Amino acid sequence: MPRTGPAGSERCARSGMPRQPLSPCVAGERLCSTEEATAGSGTYTRHGFIFSSLAGCLERKSEDNELPVVSVVRDSESQLLPNVGAVVTCKVCSINSRFAKVHILYVGSTPLKSTFRGTIRREDIRATEKDKVEVYKSFRPSDIVLAKVISLGDAQSNYLLSTAENELGVVVARSEAGVQMVPISWCEMQCPRTHTKEFRKVARVQPQFLQT
Amino acid sequence: MAAERGTAAEALVGQVVLPGDLLLLPAHYDEDAEGERLRLSAGAAPQGRLLCGPGLRRSGAGLLVTKCGLLRHRPAGGGAYWVDSQQKRYVPVKGDHVIGIVTAKAGDVFRLDVGGSEPASLSYLAFEGATKRNRPNVQVGDLIYGQFVVANKDMEPEMVCIDSSGKSSGMGIIGQDGFLFKVSLGLIRKLLAPKCEIIQELSQLYPFELVLGMNGRIWVKAKTVQQTLIVVNILEACEYMTAEQRKQALAKLSGN
Repeated sequence: MPRTGPAGSERCARSGMPRQPLSPCVAGERLCSTEEATAGSGTYTRHGFIFSSLAGCLERKSEDNELPVVSVVRDSESQLLPNVGAVVTCKVCSINSRFAKVHILYVGSTPLKSTFRGTIRREDIRATEKDKVEVYKSFRPSDIVLAKVISLGDAQSNYLLSTAENELGVVVARSEAGVQMVPISWCEMQCPRTHTKEFRKVARVQPQFLQT
Repeated sequence: MAAERGTAAEALVGQVVLPGDLLLLPAHYDEDAEGERLRLSAGAAPQGRLLCGPGLRRSGAGLLVTKCGLLRHRPAGGGAYWVDSQQKRYVPVKGDHVIGIVTAKAGDVFRLDVGGSEPASLSYLAFEGATKRNRPNVQVGDLIYGQFVVANKDMEPEMVCIDSSGKSSGMGIIGQDGFLFKVSLGLIRKLLAPKCEIIQELSQLYPFELVLGMNGRIWVKAKTVQQTLIVVNILEACEYMTAEQRKQALAKLSGN
């Protein structure tokens, strides 16, 4: 029985005739058979047909000698994902006695459209004297931290990050009075208005990355 | 920066100050009168080391008031300024001894209600003589007297019932019976002052056991229920009675 899809994209359900390019489709929709095209990114093949696995726009790239490639694209640009070993900029959202939860804002120098969640465990904060680390003396909520991705994690868990290097750690932090603090050593920062010192794990930013 | 000019701190001692008031310190405390240069050297403490107590925060060349109350000053030892304020809501502070009520047992950790914004956690190993095999006998609803080891605005507070050398020193589970009630934090501080008259006068009336928690909770136990309730009522009323009214009330009771 003929199905009517979204406006402007009717097709016959029996044979799955080719659809117009850049038409929207939802996850699970059957696009065409494997005899007419090859599956590209965002699709999978079952029972001799190609199905979409994303909700997005259909794209067909026809090549001269081979079958055209059908793929489903969600956004016009693909999202940059942090890889293992990438240096990311993140903001601390909550701390615990065992770990700190962060939102990943930048990968390298590229801002992310949607933030990812990361975790910095207590034993990954420093490289030396890991037992004596106190999370409260290394990070506080709303600090901006440079960290390195050490694991992508499972489906439910977040990215695992580490700050166990001299160049990683807190870059920007506010004191309890609300003023941005000045780093005075690798473990302390001072507030310029109230002159109180607070403990943080401070990053030694490389000179070529400092903008003045 | 500050929209209004500050007033000298000495002029306001003993008067009511409001949050946002700027107090100027006398000139000899500040070596550079221009104000806000950040001194990072270790010897930056001024000549008499001025202590900035609760309710005050250093701000540039003076002190900024953050709580409303009476400004107090102690000239000894370089001088100290602080604000005496009335407060009923307790905010956990590291090192404070408090009375907590056990609300839940979650694995190895007890959850205690201490009157703050979050329940505190207490590990079962934090009692004197507790091991993994020898667990303390704590039930939901028990009263525990302990101190905070971790207490800040970013993390959940943690309590222990042993001190740094591993001895309990009076902390632990508070026994059966007795009466728990809540008073304001100012009264607790008054009762904890050395040689408090209220406690001395009450102890001449009846013998009783007393536990004071910095979170405003007091536990009292006397020989009979009636005596316990009398002590509770006197302590609650002490906040608003003058010394003479208190002596009259106690004289009436000991006369009966």
